[in-house]
Amino acid sequence: MSNHLLNLNLRVWRQSGPNDGGSFKTYQLSGVSTHMSFLEMLDVLNEQLIAQGEEPVAFDHDCREGICGMCSLMINGQAHGPDNATTTCQLHMRRFNDGDTVTIEPWRASAFPVLRDLVVDRSAFDRIIAAGGFVSVNTGNAPDGNSILVPGVRQEVAMDAAACIGCGACVAACKNASAMLFVSAKVSQLAVLPQGHPERNARVLNMVAQMDKEGFGSCTNTSECEAACPAEVSVSHIARLNREYLRASILAEN
Amino acid sequence: MDALLRTLSLPAQILSRVPGLGPLVKVCSTTVGQKILMAISGLSLCGFLVAHLAGNLKLYAGEQSFNDYAHALHSLGPLLAAAEIGLFAMFALHIGLAVSTGALNKVARGKDYFIKETKQGVSILPGGASSWMMVTGLIVLFFLVCHIIDMKLKVGPGVDYTPALNAEKIADNEYQAVKAVLSTPSRAFIYMIGLVALGIHLSHGIRSALQTLGINHKRWNFILHWLCIALAWTLAAGFISLVIWAIGGK
Amino acid sequence: MVRVASDTLNSRVPDGPLQQKWDKHRFDLKLVNPANKRKFTVIVVGTGLAGGSAAASMAELGYNVKAFCFQDSPRRAHSIAAQGGINAAKNYQNDGDSVWRLFYDTLKGGDYRAREANVHRLAQVSTSIIDQCVSQGVPFAREYGGTLANRSFGGAQVSRTFYCRGQTGQQLLLGAYQAMMRQVGTGKVKLFARREMLELIVVDGLARGVVVRNLTTGQLETHTADAVVLCTGGYGNVYYLSTMAKGCNVTAAWRCARKGALFANPCYTQIHPTCIPVSGDYQSKLTLMSESLRNDGRVWVPLAKGDKRSPDQIPDAERDYYLERRYPSFGNLAPRDISSRAAKERCDAGNGVGDSGLAVFLDFRDAIKRDGEDVIRKKYGNLFHMYNKITAEDPYKQPMRIFPAVHYTMGGLWVDYNLMSNVPGLYVLGEANFSDHGANRLGASALMQGLSDGYFVLPYTIGDHLATSKLDKIRDDHPACMQAMQEAQNRINKLIAVQGKRSVDSFHRELGLLLWDKCGMARSRKGLTEAIDRIRGLRDEYWRDVRVLGSGTTLNQSLEKAGRVADFMEFAELLATDALHREESCGGHFREEYQTEEGEAARNDADFSYVGAWEYRGTEQEPVLHKEPLVFENVKPSTRSYK
Repeated sequence: MSNHLLNLNLRVWRQSGPNDGGSFKTYQLSGVSTHMSFLEMLDVLNEQLIAQGEEPVAFDHDCREGICGMCSLMINGQAHGPDNATTTCQLHMRRFNDGDTVTIEPWRASAFPVLRDLVVDRSAFDRIIAAGGFVSVNTGNAPDGNSILVPGVRQEVAMDAAACIGCGACVAACKNASAMLFVSAKVSQLAVLPQGHPERNARVLNMVAQMDKEGFGSCTNTSECEAACPAEVSVSHIARLNREYLRASILAEN
Repeated sequence: MDALLRTLSLPAQILSRVPGLGPLVKVCSTTVGQKILMAISGLSLCGFLVAHLAGNLKLYAGEQSFNDYAHALHSLGPLLAAAEIGLFAMFALHIGLAVSTGALNKVARGKDYFIKETKQGVSILPGGASSWMMVTGLIVLFFLVCHIIDMKLKVGPGVDYTPALNAEKIADNEYQAVKAVLSTPSRAFIYMIGLVALGIHLSHGIRSALQTLGINHKRWNFILHWLCIALAWTLAAGFISLVIWAIGGK
Repeated sequence: MVRVASDTLNSRVPDGPLQQKWDKHRFDLKLVNPANKRKFTVIVVGTGLAGGSAAASMAELGYNVKAFCFQDSPRRAHSIAAQGGINAAKNYQNDGDSVWRLFYDTLKGGDYRAREANVHRLAQVSTSIIDQCVSQGVPFAREYGGTLANRSFGGAQVSRTFYCRGQTGQQLLLGAYQAMMRQVGTGKVKLFARREMLELIVVDGLARGVVVRNLTTGQLETHTADAVVLCTGGYGNVYYLSTMAKGCNVTAAWRCARKGALFANPCYTQIHPTCIPVSGDYQSKLTLMSESLRNDGRVWVPLAKGDKRSPDQIPDAERDYYLERRYPSFGNLAPRDISSRAAKERCDAGNGVGDSGLAVFLDFRDAIKRDGEDVIRKKYGNLFHMYNKITAEDPYKQPMRIFPAVHYTMGGLWVDYNLMSNVPGLYVLGEANFSDHGANRLGASALMQGLSDGYFVLPYTIGDHLATSKLDKIRDDHPACMQAMQEAQNRINKLIAVQGKRSVDSFHRELGLLLWDKCGMARSRKGLTEAIDRIRGLRDEYWRDVRVLGSGTTLNQSLEKAGRVADFMEFAELLATDALHREESCGGHFREEYQTEEGEAARNDADFSYVGAWEYRGTEQEPVLHKEPLVFENVKPSTRSYK
């Protein structure tokens, strides 16, 4: 695929800290190769800013291969940019045209406060997992792996849910800043697998309670989360969470 | 917004003090629980619509047939009153939850995006029907208020109820009353708009309610999706046909 | 600083037959009784497979754990990016696998530069790891009937690799993360995310705490404990371009090295054969394509030099399937070091493909013809998708272009059989230590080692130290804490004060390129000597001319990078020094002077069958080499052959 060079107009959210109001700042960037990833483009911008004596734009990123879930960014109003099934680090500049204005904002949700520029605090997700997103099995307690049979097709459903990378795009894209796709992915994975069954009632009730406590919105089944999800987690897991919730509401023993 | 949320949570707080209701209130007061209540109330209202349309289609069977049906309904007396109270409660619950979850969702977003685009491709309405639930809900509510004033109380301003009057000058000929209301141009317009809004509301609402109740299976989703849309627009079209019938029959 | 007394190191490997060493040792270790465990606090730095599993397991035992990670969540640790799988000697496939075979393969794969006892223990506990992970709900691939599935992997002739599509590392990490978060919920683990370790606190010769920087607020924090467990991964990012996450760094390990911990075998770096080639000078990282692809993909280059025809225009007769030609019994599944060098050899000879000529083809044409596109999609769909995302080419239609890239580092802090460094109370787990992979790591073994260390080794061995050491309570205002805090603060101040002209990244790129050229897939005395010289020059320039904007008291990503690169600048010299001193070729360390006539690595067991552990004596001083002789009682080191 041939290489082209783009000139871009970047409108980037700058915010010096959690208590700063923040505002957009516009930067011109020229000679952007279409082979660059979006984050490499931001690297180039930052090099330019450093050369000019301006503090570089802070943004979260780590693995840059689409699995760690650390990168975020609302790019022209779309979580992780215009492509489906893609994280920002996998988005390449060939998706943009010469002369484009690109607006870059942080994830917006009360539960994800902005720390600086494009960096937000997603520790709410960790607290939701701590509330019940696990199987309580101490190291050393496990029976032989093959003593727990999981039909291949069930296993695939569990894996579909387990593929969630915890990036928060579902929250960012949802008009209600709901975390249902994230929470349901874990509830669903462990509800499908026999290993998760002993704790299924407590798990869904506790995780939902924590989700609410963190201040996420409610699900209106718009499916925008599914469209934005880089791991293609399906809203069918939200339905399973709802089933689990109904079931647990009626049957939970405490 | 916070004050609104506090006010709306009052019923739950009061109910939770009633002995034995604690667990129920607890499961109903989470965002998931609220959506489940929303779904149940919505589907109940849908059930009412089905019954209501079935009854109203008697209009096509002629004056006698429709009036007999109306009379039979009215003769239920206290049962009808109880049903109407139940219906009203469902509406109140559905609307109350819509307002409270809507307010909560606003708070959950916090600062809004400068630009927000969908990733779901193009739909007829920008953002799809699901983005218009509050708007269409409010239109339906307005239409409903008009509808009660026109049909139940029979005091709709600008409607000529003369053909429906009996010897004691009471409008008890329901068939003629319906025709009178629906053939009033302002009413025909409001009802049309209201019913189209209802169609849009249901085209997302029914499937969404089923999803909230956990009904989703890869094998059946396609057919389920279209069945829900078909039901939504069948209901809307059924009612709309009556408006057209009334205008045409004038 | 902890000084090392003698030249030879005591590995504390227990006596007795190899198969019984671990059992016997577990019996000999002192125990901490359950009621006393809650009186001890253990610091775990890093929350990848090793750190996450260690934190969870120790908390389950009753210890108080403080866990630290520099990412925004422990679930982001780079273990998450491991694609292919995890080995275990389950012999579920009935194909002749056993603990002994896994031990043998791993030791041989490591070119006989690992400790026998450690490798055998790794093979022994491998089976428990699978059981534990299955119980946690890790969705390993299954057969239709519900039993666990396996695939084969480089360097082995049995199918013993368990996998979750192409995301095994992710699923294993999430299992460990969830186990740890469960303990966070119970309060036994206190989690400190967005914290970077900057100093080790040593009191009376024992590791007793760390100084970390809160990356959100810039505040330095002191945390004290009864032991410190370092699980901070490898140092591959010293090369700038690698398959590591951008944040991976050597800082925590190097700070410990500066406090006296020995750094072992830094020259053992693994170059992974199947990565997406570099496309431009803006490139920030390299992306790995799982080794499992070589199960079905065939590696080739055109027979004619500089053949620029599109691959589908090149008939079979004009293709050189060089791995199958050179290594007929292992073919495309030859170990990583051998496959990487073979690719380099072909590209150096002028047969490379792509714009730069620095790539070879990995072709699925035959596999798709044999099994159909659907089967291939099911096995590798996400990898093909990733390749397509990055290159905009469709690997179902045209072969992938791949080239080797730095991927893993076998070297690390020196540890004994208990995984304790020479600084008592400082334990080192996972990729951060040097222990199990020798000079080359086999595929699907890193996950095994990280989890083995964290779930099944450390929980036993740490008790021995806690039970037998005198551990008085120390406070944050202890002179050793204050001093460590001051050292960290001074460094930050110094970095900001330089106010030079060049960005941190520009230095890092230059350092990386230098190492890749002189200390990458092939090394020579001349090149290494030159590299050491240039590293020193670059380091001087760094401290004269680096530009770090902003302050130390806010979230400042430039400052974070600057600290890490400063440590890479020091560490790189040690890496090159180690490579220069090791006058043999083994595993990932290939010295051009030491090769056979056929271009294969020439190992020198007579002179170099030892672990080279280096003691830091100051930035401008020569490090001191300590040796741990490698004794092979059970397996006779042979010349590795995969022909």
